[in-house]
Amino acid sequence: MTVLPILKSAALAAVLLASTAVFASAKDVTISVWSGGSGPNDNYRTDAFDIAADILEREAAIRGEQLNIIVQKTPYSGWEDFKQALTLAAEAKKAPNIVATGHEDIGPWAQAGLIVPVENYIDLDSWPIGDIYPNLMEITSFNGAVYGIPQDAESRPMFFWKPYMKAIGYTDSDIEALPGKIEKGEYTLKNVLEDARKMQDKGLVQAGYGFYPRNSNGPDYWQFYTSFGGVMEEEGKLVFDKAAMKRTYQYFADLVKAGVTKKNHIGMPGDQWWKEVATGKAGIWHGGTWHYARLVNQEGLKDFFANVQFTLIPAGEGGKANTLTHPLAYLLMAGHTEEETQIAADLIKIASEPRINALHAIKSAHLGISPSETKVDLYAGNRWASEATERLLPHANAMPNNAEFGKYWTIMWKNLEATWTGAKTADAAVNDAETELKSTLGNSIIIR
Amino acid sequence: MRTSRTLGLFMIAPASIMIFLFFLMPVVLTAIFAMTNMSTATGISGGAWQVTQAAVNRLKTDLPELADGIAEPRFIIDEEGLKELETLKLKPGFAAELRAEHMGEVYPSRREAERVIKALKDRPSTREVKQISDLFNRSVLNTRFETRDELMANLKKLGFDLTPQQQDIVARATYTGWIWTTDNFRIISSSPDMAQIFFNTAFYVSVTLLLFNVGYALFLALTTHYMQASTASVFRAIWLLPRITPVVIYVLLWKWLTWDSGFISTFMSQFGYPPKNYLLDTAYNAWFFVILINGFIGASMGMLVFSSAIKAIPQTQFHASEVDGASRLQQIRYIILPQLRWPILFVTCYQTLSLLASFNEILLSTRGGPGKATEVWSLAAFHTALNNYTGNLEYGLGAAMALVLVVVGIILSLIYLRIFRYDTLISKPLIED
Repeated sequence: MTVLPILKSAALAAVLLASTAVFASAKDVTISVWSGGSGPNDNYRTDAFDIAADILEREAAIRGEQLNIIVQKTPYSGWEDFKQALTLAAEAKKAPNIVATGHEDIGPWAQAGLIVPVENYIDLDSWPIGDIYPNLMEITSFNGAVYGIPQDAESRPMFFWKPYMKAIGYTDSDIEALPGKIEKGEYTLKNVLEDARKMQDKGLVQAGYGFYPRNSNGPDYWQFYTSFGGVMEEEGKLVFDKAAMKRTYQYFADLVKAGVTKKNHIGMPGDQWWKEVATGKAGIWHGGTWHYARLVNQEGLKDFFANVQFTLIPAGEGGKANTLTHPLAYLLMAGHTEEETQIAADLIKIASEPRINALHAIKSAHLGISPSETKVDLYAGNRWASEATERLLPHANAMPNNAEFGKYWTIMWKNLEATWTGAKTADAAVNDAETELKSTLGNSIIIR
Repeated sequence: MRTSRTLGLFMIAPASIMIFLFFLMPVVLTAIFAMTNMSTATGISGGAWQVTQAAVNRLKTDLPELADGIAEPRFIIDEEGLKELETLKLKPGFAAELRAEHMGEVYPSRREAERVIKALKDRPSTREVKQISDLFNRSVLNTRFETRDELMANLKKLGFDLTPQQQDIVARATYTGWIWTTDNFRIISSSPDMAQIFFNTAFYVSVTLLLFNVGYALFLALTTHYMQASTASVFRAIWLLPRITPVVIYVLLWKWLTWDSGFISTFMSQFGYPPKNYLLDTAYNAWFFVILINGFIGASMGMLVFSSAIKAIPQTQFHASEVDGASRLQQIRYIILPQLRWPILFVTCYQTLSLLASFNEILLSTRGGPGKATEVWSLAAFHTALNNYTGNLEYGLGAAMALVLVVVGIILSLIYLRIFRYDTLISKPLIED
């Protein structure tokens, strides 16, 4: 007769469970947020939604509605696993409501129907969206619709270790004037190679540490293509400029040949790379504005401005000095109810307000998304944010939103890597890239 | 009799279902995927029809007139749209105000049309604005049509009455989903990178197999055979360690050994060599370590199989040969190796297939680098279909690559069976007949 009490309590438990479910469904909305490439300084990409949810709930309460938002946050530190997980989850109809990702994903994801345009849910003329820099809004548009709200902006500078620049003959005022000289094209990528060489010859840095590029594939490498006169897209069609790409490939081959960059640089452990640039093991390197946060917060570089000068990526032959901005954007994923997506959109709108977005911008050393954000005390009082905004952002390009760009990028990178490691000559690499681009992209790319 | 047969089928059913679901279906699905151009952009579940700028570009050569006619967005406040708006049962003020104030106006973009709609006195919500602006859309540019007929009907409304052939051209240019194609195999056969990856794979499999999975395993089995039992088991246990260590930890140990700040670098710095990443320094280094990492794992299995096979040889044969004055080399040549033919075939065959398909050690150690030096076929298929930095997952191409692997595996197995004369191995021995 022990079965009866068990049955009884089971029935009671079931009733209790069912009742909570009924109450819960009346007011609970779960909004899931994923973000890619989010390290320890980037927590506000997802944490902003805690604040936004709190505000939205209070607003609902004032209107007399009961709204309880549960925010589920899933930040990924890298990109490969994030994009794999997100794409497959979306195909399996298990996509999150909101995702923060690079704007270049908008093209393929929109074509596949994985995302819905935010402009269907957010009035773009309303505050704070109407206040966002128009060029950033353009970057999140595709096929005539705005698919995402820019989450941050950034740009990717060249960094110079000041003590070594002084040791090879630059005065303090020379170093101060360097950003201007680079902007005017008076100091070029050729000078970078020469100065890196000088640093090594003087024994300031070890062989292979004169110029110390990013240790993995990234949008950064398109900057060099631009420096050498390349264009990524024209009127909706991708562009492969053979001569510019060859000069880009050749430059990295030359760096290796001159011994200022390591042949096996790509694929080295990231932690090692960070430690080395933070401790002055490298002479000249390039990175992003957000490197400031990691160098200062995690890597222990106490006096950044005394040790490091930052500039645009210098011009090469046939091009001009430039930098690249690779904004992340909040996108709305398809496959949810209209009501949930509307709440998600409302949350994005609140999270984009200057004060909340400034938390992310300053903590992670990204740049703000709107002019009013630069007036928030936290932002205005930050030397890095204000100097970097002024020096770099006006010269920033972005990668095109084109459903085929990912394929182009993969092929471009594969052959750059092959030239870098000496597996191919620059000529062979450009020809291989051309062959493969023709066979995979056909008419969607202009080759010249 | 009947019942026992049914019972047999019943008993084997779970196994057959498993085999069907987890062995046969993946191969069949791979084959199906391989014949498509599926990627992140096309999606897996199908597509829609959308006249994008890119589609207009594609149409320019075949149907220039149509391409020009549909290249611009156009929104017109007309009676037709207003009638539809009235049937929507939104606030009546919307239609009335539009009719009174904006009748006949033409807007060159959705944004401008929506600015007008947004400014209506009854303040439509963002979603209502979209609903209303859709009704006045007199172009097809950038509208996503869920079916082909819908697109054609809308084109007809715009005055483009297309022949079935023209419709096909338009449908092909505007379809966003995947299509059946054999292009993947064309890309595989013509790309120089694929050839390089194929060569890498052949090199990796044959060298690892020859040197370690069979060669070194045989060496271990033979030498431990001639050792004292207790010493032999110690050696075998040591060589089993790589296999029983979790692969992530095992590869991490190798990384500690070879990193810039690892053991080899520290050791070599005593002799004045600057630290370097020995694992990724050159393609030769990478291959050296990749083969060692895999070989040390692979050797243990061959060792176990061969040792037990040698144990199964009757001791009397060894005693007799010693009486005849045979040396150890002669024992190996004339007694052991002939009787190991079957285990060697098994290990060669099994290890070839597992080396072809395995990439986790390479993924964890070099990730296919430096450059693409140690990128093998299965790793390349994984990178292509499921895991790359740009997030452009090409399911179709990756599946085609996987299918090539399946075919190569089958062909190699057949060749092995011929070389080792499988038929004679399984024929009944004459003595026990």
